[in-house]
Amino acid sequence: MTIVPALDLFVAGVVLIVAVWTVVARDSSSAVVGFVAYGLLLALVWVRLGAPDVALTEAAIGSGLTGALLIGAAARLRAGESSTSAEHLGGVGRTLVAALATIVAAAIAVALLSLPDPAPSLAPEAAANAGATGLGNPITNVLMAFRAMDTMLEKFVLVIALVGVWSLAPDGAWGGRPRSYHRADPEGALVFLARVLPPLGVVLGIYVLWVSADHPGGAFQGATILAAMWLVVLMAGLGDVPEVGRQQLRLMLVAGPVVFLIVGLGGLLLGGAFLSYPQDWAKPVILAIEFAMILTVAATLALLVAGPPERSAEP
Amino acid sequence: MNEFLTVMVGLILALLALGLVRVLRGPGDADRMMAAQLIGTCGIAALLIIGVIGDISAAIDVALVLALLATFAAAAFAECARRAQQPDTPPETEGP
Repeated sequence: MTIVPALDLFVAGVVLIVAVWTVVARDSSSAVVGFVAYGLLLALVWVRLGAPDVALTEAAIGSGLTGALLIGAAARLRAGESSTSAEHLGGVGRTLVAALATIVAAAIAVALLSLPDPAPSLAPEAAANAGATGLGNPITNVLMAFRAMDTMLEKFVLVIALVGVWSLAPDGAWGGRPRSYHRADPEGALVFLARVLPPLGVVLGIYVLWVSADHPGGAFQGATILAAMWLVVLMAGLGDVPEVGRQQLRLMLVAGPVVFLIVGLGGLLLGGAFLSYPQDWAKPVILAIEFAMILTVAATLALLVAGPPERSAEP
Repeated sequence: MNEFLTVMVGLILALLALGLVRVLRGPGDADRMMAAQLIGTCGIAALLIIGVIGDISAAIDVALVLALLATFAAAAFAECARRAQQPDTPPETEGP
């Protein structure tokens, strides 16, 4: 059948067009919309390539949450856009930038083309040892067991990123709440959405985490969905962002990394290696880490979108 | 049956490309966002059919997540558009 390759080519072409357009768009808010559409299409491509795990991540993080983050950033930048767009690069600057970009692209191309064939891969070993953890999904196996160190450090990076955002707060607002959203019309569509969507989203978020043991899914993807649901409630004005100085919130933000560290040190004491899981208990331990992680990641992502504190803490 | 479904995917992709024209031409940001939502809906439909053709059960999960977060992106866009209309009141920063 020749129609299937034709359709694949068509989708690839559409993705390329959207990507190029997103890069060259002059107006930042149009570029953001292009980016959201690009993420949606990319999820389709990943499923076609047989990588539903990546598709899930792209759908959750690439188009959804990053889209919202960029929309907010574009709205904040709009005020200053007229002044920055006046600062155009001169001819020499442009040539320099173009030359640099070409060199980087050429270097990547050379590196890719000089890869040995077949490329070095640990996939067969990972697949051969899949039984060690009792998890059925090879991706979760790699993320939570074979490369658990990377996953743990990733959680630290997230918390550090949030600290970076918070450090932009003015002195008077330190420990206070991020800026408020305008109160939405209580009969409006946004409030209705904020009442209908979160129950579904919370179920889906926990489901995505739960199935990750045996099917495509994961704590990060689930947490992204939970964070998005919380943000919808905040946007509709049905809830307020908590004060960033509050103890419970801080505990939630460190829960994931702390549980991960405790398990890692426990492995050092019991099994002789950092982050080695007890043989028979690997699956429950991994699930415990993932549930602590989903809390941390959801809270961190939502607070990253909410921005630095701007309102002072109530006395 | 699969031939029929494949043709349907082709049809949906054609609709998706039509939505793309709106994204590229605008003129307004709201037109672009609505077109991106149309692309999202078409993408979800194509994803579900591809899942049925290739017997990929995870495609349904991906479609669910896409549907939920595309709605969220639209809500975030609407919120920012509303904020742009009614400029921010200066943040209340009483002294410590």
